[in-house]
Amino acid sequence: MKDFILKRMASIILPFICIYGFYVIFHGHVSPGGSFAGGIIVGLSFIAFSTIYGIEKGRKKLPEKVLVWTESYGTLWYGIMGMVGIVKGAPFLANKLAGVDLGIPGALNSGGLISFIGFGVGIRVASTMVTLFFTMMEEE
Amino acid sequence: MISAITTNLPVFIIIAPLFVAFVLPTWAQRKRLVENLVISVEILMLLGTCYLASIVLLQKGIPIIYQMGGWSAPWGIELKVGSLGTFFLLTVAIVSLPVALFARGNLTHEVGGKERVARFYVLYLLLIGALGGMALTNDLFNVYVLVEVATLSCCGLVSARNHPRAAKATFTYLILATLGSCLVMGGIGFIYIVTGHLNMGFASQELGRIWQNNPRVVWMAFSFMLVGFGVKSALFPLHVWLPDAHSVAPSPASAILSGLAVKGYLICLLKVLYNVFGFYLMRVYSVHKIMVLVGMVAIISGSISALTQEDLKRRLAFSTVAQVGYIFLGFGLLNTKGLTGTLFYLASHAVIKSTLFLSAGAMLNATGKKNIKDLSGIGRKMPITTAAFTISSLGLIGIPLFSGFVGKWQLLMGSMETGSILPVSVIISGSVLCAAYLFPVIRIAYFGTAPEKDCKDPNLPQKLALIFLSAAIVFLGVIPGSFLELANRAAAELLVLR
Amino acid sequence: MSELIKKIIMNYPYFAAFIIFVIGALTVLTRSNLFKKLIGINIMESAIFLMFVAAGNIRGGAVPILSGKNPHTLYINPLPSALMLTGIVVSVSVTAFALALILRLYRSYGTTDLRRIYEMGNEVSE
Repeated sequence: MKDFILKRMASIILPFICIYGFYVIFHGHVSPGGSFAGGIIVGLSFIAFSTIYGIEKGRKKLPEKVLVWTESYGTLWYGIMGMVGIVKGAPFLANKLAGVDLGIPGALNSGGLISFIGFGVGIRVASTMVTLFFTMMEEE
Repeated sequence: MISAITTNLPVFIIIAPLFVAFVLPTWAQRKRLVENLVISVEILMLLGTCYLASIVLLQKGIPIIYQMGGWSAPWGIELKVGSLGTFFLLTVAIVSLPVALFARGNLTHEVGGKERVARFYVLYLLLIGALGGMALTNDLFNVYVLVEVATLSCCGLVSARNHPRAAKATFTYLILATLGSCLVMGGIGFIYIVTGHLNMGFASQELGRIWQNNPRVVWMAFSFMLVGFGVKSALFPLHVWLPDAHSVAPSPASAILSGLAVKGYLICLLKVLYNVFGFYLMRVYSVHKIMVLVGMVAIISGSISALTQEDLKRRLAFSTVAQVGYIFLGFGLLNTKGLTGTLFYLASHAVIKSTLFLSAGAMLNATGKKNIKDLSGIGRKMPITTAAFTISSLGLIGIPLFSGFVGKWQLLMGSMETGSILPVSVIISGSVLCAAYLFPVIRIAYFGTAPEKDCKDPNLPQKLALIFLSAAIVFLGVIPGSFLELANRAAAELLVLR
Repeated sequence: MSELIKKIIMNYPYFAAFIIFVIGALTVLTRSNLFKKLIGINIMESAIFLMFVAAGNIRGGAVPILSGKNPHTLYINPLPSALMLTGIVVSVSVTAFALALILRLYRSYGTTDLRRIYEMGNEVSE
C-alpha cells in the first residue's frame, strides 16, 4: 500500500498496540484477558505492520528463524516454569507451594509464576498467529 | 533427586513427549539428532511406564493420585495412575517405540525432505503425549483437550504425504472428527450442568445422587458421548473417514493411527461410561444393549467390506472397523470376564494392527504397487517381513499361542455369561471372516509366482521394529501373565458399584 | 402448556444454543462446499460455547474479579468461561488447518466443491 497517512499513523500507533499486548499478557491474573488474548494483540500488531508496509518488510522484521525459535522456546518456557515446583519439592506447576511470594491480592506480583508462564504462552501465540498469516499469504 | 523423579513420574511421562515435540522444529536441519531424540524419549517413556506398572501391581489396586500444582480434587486437576491407566500407557509405550524405529528407517522415502520429517516427528510425539494423557487423566475437560490435540495431530499425520488425495482424506477426517469433538464437548457440558463437577470421581458421585432429577439431560449426555466418541473411533455407520485416511497416510502413521489413536478414544469412552456414569446408569438407560448391537453390526459389516477391497492398506483399514466392533461389543457386556477380554484384545489389537500396517508398508514400498495381487511370491524375497505379516494375521484371527487368542477367549467367555447366543456366534463368524480376508494375502505372498523385480527385506531399523512387534505378539500370547492381571484388575475396578 | 412456555423463556440461552447447533450441523452435513462446511463447524462450536457460558451465568451476579473496593455477595461462575477460552483456541487451530487444506485442495483440483472433488476421483496427480 502506498498511503502516506496510513503509514505515518501506523508507525505511531503500532508500537503502543504491541506494548498494550504485553500489558494484557502480564496482567492476565488481575484483569480480563490473559496470555492468549494478549498474544493475539501482539501478533496483530505485526500482522498490521506487514499488511501496511508489505509482506517483505514484515518478513524482514520477523524472519522465519525467529518465529520458529519463539514458537518452540515459548512453549518450553512453560515447561521450565512448571519445573520450578518440582525443583522446590512441590508438584508440577506449583505456585505458592514452591515458595513464591504472592504479595497483596490485586497487585501485579500477586500471581507468582503465572505472569512468567503467561509470557511464554503469549509470545508463542503471537508467533503462531504471525506464522499462520505469512503462510496463508504466501500460499497464493 | 531420584525421589523427585519417581514422585513426579506420571506428569513427566506426559510432558516429556509434548515438550520435546515443541522443541524439535528448531533442529529440523539435523535429522539424526531429531531421530535419536525421538527414540530416546520413547525408551524413557517405556522405562517409566514399566516402573509405574510395577508399583501399581505391587500396591494391589490403590491408585497413585497426582495433583497438578498441589490443588486437591474438586478444584485442581488430577492424574490418576490406576490399573486402567497403566495398562493403556504400557500399550502406548510398547507400540510407539517400534513404530518410531520403523519410521527412522523409511520416513525420508515416504514423506520427503528434512523439514517434512521433522514435522512428522513433531506430530507423532504430540499424539503420543496426548494418548499418555488420555490414559492418566481424571478430569473431563482434560479429556476434551487431549482428544482435540490427538485429533489435530492425527489429521496432520494423515496429510504428511504431499499428495492431493491425502488432503482430501484429511479434510473429510477433520470435518467429521471436529463434529465428533463438538458432540463430546456438548456431552461434557451436560454432565457439568447437571453435577457442577469436572473431576470424574466427584461428577460420578453427584450423578449417582441426583440423576433422577433430570433424567433427560443425562440421557442427552449419554447419547452425545456415544456418538461423539463413536465418530472418532470409527464405529460402523460413522466410519466413512477411516479407510481413506488410514490408507493414504505413510505406513508408520497408519500403524500408529489404526493401532493407537483409535484406541485412545475408546479408552476415553470407557472412562466416561464406567467412571463417570457408572454401570448402574448404563443399565438403567440400556446403553449396554445398544453397544452390543452396534458392535455386532460393525463386526460383520466391517469384515465383509474388508473382503471386497483389492488395495492391501484399505483392506487392513476396514479390518480396523471390524475390530472396533469387537471392542464396543465387549464394553457393553457388563461383566468382568468380558471387560478383561476386551481390554486385553484392545492392547493386542494395537500391537497386531501396527505390525500388519508396518509389514504391509514395507512390502508395498519394495514393490511400489498397492494391490494384493501384485504381491505374489514376495514371501521368498522378503522372508522377515512376510513372517511378521503372517504372525500378526494369525494373532488377529485368534489362533492359540498368539496374543489375539487370549483376549478373544475371555471375550467369548464373557459373552456366554450374558446368556444370549447371538454375540457368541457373531464373534466366531467374525474370526472366520477375518481369516477369509487375511489368508489370501499370505497365500499369494508365499505361493504366488515370484516377481521379476528384485525386492529384499527393508533396512535394519525396520527389521528390528518388525521383529520386536512380532515377538511381543507371541510373548503376550504365550505368557500374558502380569499384563492380563493388570487388565483383569482394571476391569474389576471399573465394575465396582459406586 | 404454559408451564412449558415458561420453562422455554426461563432457559432461553439453551434453546438458542440448540437452534444454533442444529443450524451448524445441518450446514456441515448437507452443504458440499468446503468453506460452507467449515463455517458450519464454527457455528456448531459457538453453540456449544454459548451453552457452557450460559451454564456459568448467575442472574444478578457480578464479574468475578476480587477487589477491596466493591465487595459483592454473588459472583458468576468463571470456570465455564475459562474453559471456553480453551475451546476457542482449539476451534481457531482447527479453522486454520482446514483453511490450509482447502487452499491445497483448490490448487490441485481447481474447485472447492467436495462432491466434484470426489467425482474427479484419483486421477489428479501432485
